[in-house]
Amino acid sequence: MTSSRDLQAKLQKTVWNGSIPLEIRLANADCRTYDESDPYLIQFPRLSYLALLIPGLRSFFSSFLIHPDVSPDETWLSYQGVPLKWQYPLGLLYDLYSGSEPAYPKGEAEEKDEPSQPWKLTIHFTDLPLEHLIRLDVEGKHLHDLFINNVKEADFLRNGTGKTVMSLSKEDSTQLWESVKQHKFSLFSPINQKLLSPQGTSLRHLPIRLYLPSKPRDDKSNRSIRVVQGLVPLTLSSSRQTQTVGTALNQVLKPLFPSTRTALEAQPILHGAVLPLSTSLEDLVRVTPYLDGWLHIAIKMRHMG
Amino acid sequence: MEKIASFPSISEPEFEKACNCLLEAYKRYNHLQSDWLLVDFVHNDDSKYLKILKALSITKISPKHQELRIEETEIEEDDEEALVEDTKRSHEVILEYNIILSPSYQVPVLYFSIKDPHFRFPPTRDTLYSYIVPHQFKLQVESVGIIGGITLTDHPFTNSPVFFIHPCQTTSVLEASLGSKEATPEEYLNLWIGAMGGCAGLFLPRALLG
Repeated sequence: MTSSRDLQAKLQKTVWNGSIPLEIRLANADCRTYDESDPYLIQFPRLSYLALLIPGLRSFFSSFLIHPDVSPDETWLSYQGVPLKWQYPLGLLYDLYSGSEPAYPKGEAEEKDEPSQPWKLTIHFTDLPLEHLIRLDVEGKHLHDLFINNVKEADFLRNGTGKTVMSLSKEDSTQLWESVKQHKFSLFSPINQKLLSPQGTSLRHLPIRLYLPSKPRDDKSNRSIRVVQGLVPLTLSSSRQTQTVGTALNQVLKPLFPSTRTALEAQPILHGAVLPLSTSLEDLVRVTPYLDGWLHIAIKMRHMG
Repeated sequence: MEKIASFPSISEPEFEKACNCLLEAYKRYNHLQSDWLLVDFVHNDDSKYLKILKALSITKISPKHQELRIEETEIEEDDEEALVEDTKRSHEVILEYNIILSPSYQVPVLYFSIKDPHFRFPPTRDTLYSYIVPHQFKLQVESVGIIGGITLTDHPFTNSPVFFIHPCQTTSVLEASLGSKEATPEEYLNLWIGAMGGCAGLFLPRALLG
């Protein structure tokens, strides 16, 4: 019989290994030969950041570029015209925009494997849309900064102070960012352990962030996203009952989740799977967060045309 | 007025009270200042924040210029309101500050950006240091964190990139500024603007203190 510890380790590994095939093509506007460049194909981890692909993409496409000497910090990626935010991990972007069916819990629908069709993205080397995307720098400092800010905020929520991150040694901080860049579990895991279970503290709040398709009225770019977060305590203040996905969604996003047990209007999606509302949120925070410690949950409306 | 219950954190009702106090002060004393163009407490279904608009001088203001401006105001005292109105209309380029209560940190966080009809000042480091951070704060801002104390992030409500000051140091700064005293929500916000705003060019106009 598998113990729950084994099961957790297995789940953690599955999430770590989750990946999506990408087919990245050069935007026609940047292509010397209009639309005849080769596509860049890669199987890329869900937990990782597309910005880490920039150096490779740049050297791959350089011979096709109209302006090969354009600055690398003008690079950006899009899917069907939607600029993809650098600080969102690939898995979140895929769950938000790809339109592919998420996996359902066993029994509810047939099981689904990782996608076999590549997700088709476009790379641009000019006209970075600064109203949507942050301009990165060649050394990757902005990406690192965005990542660390999220790590700090998650730490603050979990422990009520930011001391765990602040007190990491220089080596540990460096190792954490290296583990992200190289997507290397053996580097990531020891630091993650320190962050998730610091001595002498107990879990206080759960770092969960929700991403919704925005309402048409405040929507200029047609596919923009609204980000929602609230202060979600470990247990329900009324009953001391442990927080489930359903109780947390009901607290933070009541209009879309009027029931704590049944997803009527919308569904929460994490790592490509629909989350059952009865799942313990603490377990998810401990076992399946993204690399920055957050549960970045895409909200999918059930009745959207 | 009641004191902040769990300083250095501030609760949502306390934050709202603080914002409304500042708004009242602005309405009452607006005619005595020309630094801020607008103060508003924006609240709709999914967002509540304090919005402050200030004109951006495209050529950097040196301390000398500031003095000059005050003199002008004094000379044309009779026509003071007209002058303020005039200043307001002539500035196309606006610095917009949003003070938002962080749901995680339970302290106010400063987000800011430049509104320009011609989009000449995109949210980049270059814009930040050439047009926003006052000279005396430059070294201090640049020396902390991975890319400095002011960084870029998506605005929590518009989801567009804006500048912001990460709140991880806010509580210790507030504690150091207040010492062992207690603060009302109004005093808290004034203290916070004094402690966090300067490096972003946000200063509480003295006239608003009554």
